[in-house]
Amino acid sequence: MILDGKNNKILSYAISPTGSSSKNAAKNAFEDTLNKAKLKSRDIKAIIATGYGRINIPFADKNITEISCHARGAISLFPDLKTVIDIGGQDSKVIKLDNGSPIDFLMNDKCAAGTGRFLEVMAKAMEIDLENFAPIFIKTDGKADITSTCTVFAESEIVSLIGQGVDKDKIIKGLIYSIANRITSMVERIGLEEPVCMTGGVAKNLGVVKALEENLGVKIKIPDEPQITGALGAAYLAKNIG
Amino acid sequence: MGIKDRLKTGIQKNLNQKYIKRLLGIIAKKPILYTYGSAFSSVSDKYLNIFTIESLRDAYSDNSHPVGFGSLFVPYEMLHALEITPFPPEVMAGFTAGLGIASQTIKQSASNWYSQDLCTFHRSASGALELDVFPKPDFILATNLACDAAQKSFYIYSKKYGIEKNFYLIDVPYHYSKESLKYLTGQLKNIYMDISSKTGREPDYSKFREVINLSNEFRKWAIKVNDLRKDLTEYPPYFNALNYILPFHVLSGTEKAVTLYKHMYRELKKYLYTQQEKNGSKKNPPKRILWLHLKPYYKSEIFDILKKENCIVSFEEINYVYWPELDPLKPFESLAKKMLSHFLGGKIDNRVNVILDLAREYKIDGVVLFSHWGCRQSNGGARIIKDNLKKLSIPTLVIDGDCVDRNNSSHGQIKTRMQGFLEILNSKT
Repeated sequence: MILDGKNNKILSYAISPTGSSSKNAAKNAFEDTLNKAKLKSRDIKAIIATGYGRINIPFADKNITEISCHARGAISLFPDLKTVIDIGGQDSKVIKLDNGSPIDFLMNDKCAAGTGRFLEVMAKAMEIDLENFAPIFIKTDGKADITSTCTVFAESEIVSLIGQGVDKDKIIKGLIYSIANRITSMVERIGLEEPVCMTGGVAKNLGVVKALEENLGVKIKIPDEPQITGALGAAYLAKNIG
Repeated sequence: MGIKDRLKTGIQKNLNQKYIKRLLGIIAKKPILYTYGSAFSSVSDKYLNIFTIESLRDAYSDNSHPVGFGSLFVPYEMLHALEITPFPPEVMAGFTAGLGIASQTIKQSASNWYSQDLCTFHRSASGALELDVFPKPDFILATNLACDAAQKSFYIYSKKYGIEKNFYLIDVPYHYSKESLKYLTGQLKNIYMDISSKTGREPDYSKFREVINLSNEFRKWAIKVNDLRKDLTEYPPYFNALNYILPFHVLSGTEKAVTLYKHMYRELKKYLYTQQEKNGSKKNPPKRILWLHLKPYYKSEIFDILKKENCIVSFEEINYVYWPELDPLKPFESLAKKMLSHFLGGKIDNRVNVILDLAREYKIDGVVLFSHWGCRQSNGGARIIKDNLKKLSIPTLVIDGDCVDRNNSSHGQIKTRMQGFLEILNSKT
């Protein structure tokens, strides 16, 4: 993402899968954003890298964790926030804020259950487009209980549920609750405080958002483009060194 | 490739009893080889390596000294008083991680039905034992103090060696009272007498007094080191006080521990002086971390991140001198008091109070609890510790990881958690 530091306007952004090299993915995304904004690299004052590949970006001036970046990005959109829930492809985290600064956080344990990857794997296993999960969640009454906490075992469990003739829509609703329940427990561990915002790619899935709202009993704010909140925060933090 | 690396590579390729015994024989005869490289950057590290290797050499040598396995929190002074060579399997498990062979020892323990949710210090030790790379003990001494896995694991070790009758469990009561002190004192005396009779080492109370005096001398220097550390804002390269588990526990009551902590004090004092000369009062002093529980003993980037983010580990709870001075005329009662004083025994409140005191004394900015896999005594109190520190406005990071098994830790996540926590600390004015 390129941010015009003078008026805090987003000039361009790009989203691309990391693939096998975070270095190449970052380079391509950088070139893409430059092209979209019709800028040259010399026009850029400061670059912050964030996310799991942050330390392998040679052209970055500094790397900052996604914890600080998501918090900063979310605050730039909703200044009075107290809690940020971020569910990305790699992990999920809950960040507690005080006066616009992160003061505590929790991340999911090393299992992929509780992340966007979990939903992707399950969608593939069920041969259903991930985009259909939210409408199915809304229209379906009742849910299947997905007991497993491991992505691989959950996949086996789903195959078994399908084999037992359990309604696919109920399985999908069960999967969404499975992820929402894990996040709910993290939010409760850190202490729920409103206002709450959700960032990361999974925030685009309204089924997960609704399940979380129901579990937590709060309304969750969603950015227009939740997937770039971390990059937005990184760009804001770059202003400090630019 | 340095000598240390070559030894490591050799060990990885040739994990068998003969090879390891030969390897330990080489480094025991020439301990200086083991200190090659990084160790010369810190005098304390050099002594630590030499004394560690010397202790191992004694356990592996075929001399007349009996060998006793001990769990970490047993009173090793009793063994030194009988001139018995102690061998600590849990500390050795840490070495298996450092030498890069823990994956093999842990794999071996899995093959022998050790449960995967057992702490990896005990699993790696059991794997090493199954691979027959430990010296054969004459007896095994364990305690239920702090660690719930040791008492069971060490008994299994005794069965493996066919010495169940030479297995001793020191049962430390939950509460500290007159009755519990009497009960524990009696146990220690009986165990001492029984070990003495089974190993043929005559009870020698003059030697015991000497050992207790050395233990007090070590305690005095350890307190001096700990006091000095309150003023340190930098440490000599490679100095990491979480490496001193063996001298702090196993060598307590020996000249070695006294020598090591004397050197450590002098080294740190000199360092403090040059640091003050060089820096004066730093504009941007580092954030001070209190470290709870242990650390990964394999190569890990955790401490590099601390340095990069201008943070130092000011103190570690494991190095806290928790016990009163011992009375040489009442060795058993003194050692019983030492065990009953341990902050990891009894209620979680004991540990919390020590942590809060340390946080104040060392002007701590943040606390890291390395939550080692399977260590319930440490992990179970995480929430209470965090809540109590919050009252002092000190943030706590709980890292789920593994001190021994590199494959049981998610390095990217640990790095992100640590860096994220330090960013939060540094954002505070």
